[in-house]
Amino acid sequence: MSNLKIRPLIVVALCSCIALTSVAPAALAQKKTAPVEATPPPVREEFKFGKVDVEVLEQVNLLDRRFERDGIVLEDEATNAYLFRIGHALIPAGLTLENVSWKFRALRDPQPNAFALPNGSIYVSTGLLSVIDNESQLAAIIAHELTHVMRRHTYMQNRSNRKKFLTMNVMAAVGAYAPGGIVGVAIQAITMIAPLIIVATIFGYSRDLEREADLKGIDMMISAEYSPEEMVNVMKVLDRDIEGENIRLFYNDHPALRERITYLSSYLGGRADKVTPQMELNREKAAYFRTLESLMRHDVQLQINGGRFRSALYIAQRLVDFHPDSENLFWLAEAYRTLGPRAPQLTEKELTNSAKKDAAKKHEKRTDEEMERELLATAAGQENWKVHQQKAEELYQRALSADSPVAVAHRGLGMLYEKLDRRADAATEYEKYLEMAAAATDRERIQRRIENLRRPPQ
Amino acid sequence: MTFPGLIVLSKFRKSSIPFIAVLIITSAPAIARAQFLHPKISKKETTIRNVIILPAKVSVVRDSMKGPEGMAAESEDLSGRVEKMLATVLEKQKNVKSLNTAGASTGEGDQQQKYSIADFQTKFDDLLPRIMKKRSDVKKARFTMGDEVLNMNLDKSVDAIVFIRGQGQKLTGGKKAFVLLVGGGAAFLNLQIGIIDARTGEVLLYTDPGFKGLGDPTTAVDSLRKALEKGFKKLPVVSVQ
Repeated sequence: MSNLKIRPLIVVALCSCIALTSVAPAALAQKKTAPVEATPPPVREEFKFGKVDVEVLEQVNLLDRRFERDGIVLEDEATNAYLFRIGHALIPAGLTLENVSWKFRALRDPQPNAFALPNGSIYVSTGLLSVIDNESQLAAIIAHELTHVMRRHTYMQNRSNRKKFLTMNVMAAVGAYAPGGIVGVAIQAITMIAPLIIVATIFGYSRDLEREADLKGIDMMISAEYSPEEMVNVMKVLDRDIEGENIRLFYNDHPALRERITYLSSYLGGRADKVTPQMELNREKAAYFRTLESLMRHDVQLQINGGRFRSALYIAQRLVDFHPDSENLFWLAEAYRTLGPRAPQLTEKELTNSAKKDAAKKHEKRTDEEMERELLATAAGQENWKVHQQKAEELYQRALSADSPVAVAHRGLGMLYEKLDRRADAATEYEKYLEMAAAATDRERIQRRIENLRRPPQ
Repeated sequence: MTFPGLIVLSKFRKSSIPFIAVLIITSAPAIARAQFLHPKISKKETTIRNVIILPAKVSVVRDSMKGPEGMAAESEDLSGRVEKMLATVLEKQKNVKSLNTAGASTGEGDQQQKYSIADFQTKFDDLLPRIMKKRSDVKKARFTMGDEVLNMNLDKSVDAIVFIRGQGQKLTGGKKAFVLLVGGGAAFLNLQIGIIDARTGEVLLYTDPGFKGLGDPTTAVDSLRKALEKGFKKLPVVSVQ
């Protein structure tokens, strides 16, 4: 009898101990343990490598090699050297970190993104490099990522997560063996709620680390004499959400962009003793575009391949604005042709969180071709297609009449006419393309298309 | 105050959880999954004689009491093994030859070819969730990767390109004991394999074989072979000329 009463009490005590020692403090002490102080030292000096950290390091070293092997890294010496120069300007002079070897590389990814591996590899996607405006904005991104490495954020997060996962598993075990009665119900209730709180603390810790990287990034930019206000501007660039894909979820590992803009502006308030004049920023922008023009063209193709047609148009338009009467006209024409019946910009209604969630669900179910067909069945879609095909045709023609005509513009025209069912015109344009580009890598594909077009329709 | 029903439930759970866990884990070593063929294959209008198997992307994690841990090296090894084993299964069971072209199965080759393969791998990754959402639509010839596949400039004799994706989980000793006592996910390996027409880009076959149990999916040989054999059961055997 007494045994029966004591057992539940032991389980309750055990459960309460776990809840009080791990869950509640984890949530309450988040502010105490997480690094939210305004200016922490640039490097986490007290960090010592443990077995778990070495395992993480081995994993990321392999990941680095895989990126290279799989053709995800952009093998462009000039771009990687440019990133390296900016990165090294930001790293404090004479700094050496155990198990860190700095590498700065562009990733062939149309999504605007950047990340750091704890071994010192910093990756910036072509999608991000193509939407930012100048070198200072790029420095802001790299400074943020450098902080993650210098403050050992990945290792810290991994260590923290491991403790929290262990707590969750212990709680699950307690829940499974809970006694009966009201006590058991209470224990089960605690063990059911606790994981939710623990998960919240995991994301909360991650957001605090991101905040630290943002603020330390500003300090590093100032030290390297980059315009610190560009950290705020780069957040505004990311907040543009051209594709309507920045969906706010219940749990987020990064602070909301608007929130980042607010705290960065307020942090900068006291330090922005120098705001860079617009003229200087314009000069910086021109230099930035000159350096990365060919990367941006490469990215337009990646955007189209990835079905990110609005982003492709946005980047191609920026290229034409910077350097008209060049190959850039072809890329803008490609962007208009592939945009097809879609509107060039999302409406305010389409940019609400619920609309973005609905669009993401729809995108998972339908292929790009199916969505295009659906849009073409609407009056607005048909109107968009009419306007875009006219713009594309005009731009292809301009690309062909430039000083150095672009052969691929014939291919683009061929594809446009094929879609418009102008079969003979399409075949002629394809033939002109193959004539001009004798060593085209897509020769077989185009020849097959010509054969199909020249064949009488059945 | 006690609730008799809850006590009964609690006692039942305490005694039965390990038993049920063992029963589930031991009785279901292989996951039976369906295969979906394009009408061109099921009606035998197209025959797949030669294929290129692109580098597989199989990722396995070690699930411990302290959460999931990466297994990058083991995942690499397993990816290579799945490629080789699939080639063997196709050749032995279906008389389908796997050709080796520069850049395709080694991931090497010139830069343009490397980019081209990477872009097709990405394109398959984009298409895969849509296929998985409605796998049976492969039978309606709904999915295609477009005629850009020709830009890979593969050997003329190649009829199809094979894409392999996979996810797996291995349990540590502690986690195995935890699963037996408390319940939870067993070790598993799930593969998603798509065969794409090398000339038109159409999805000719989709299959998602897999297996689960308490063993190590990164070293399981027999389970993997059986799963692959089951996964390609419906693919017609090519007559040897």
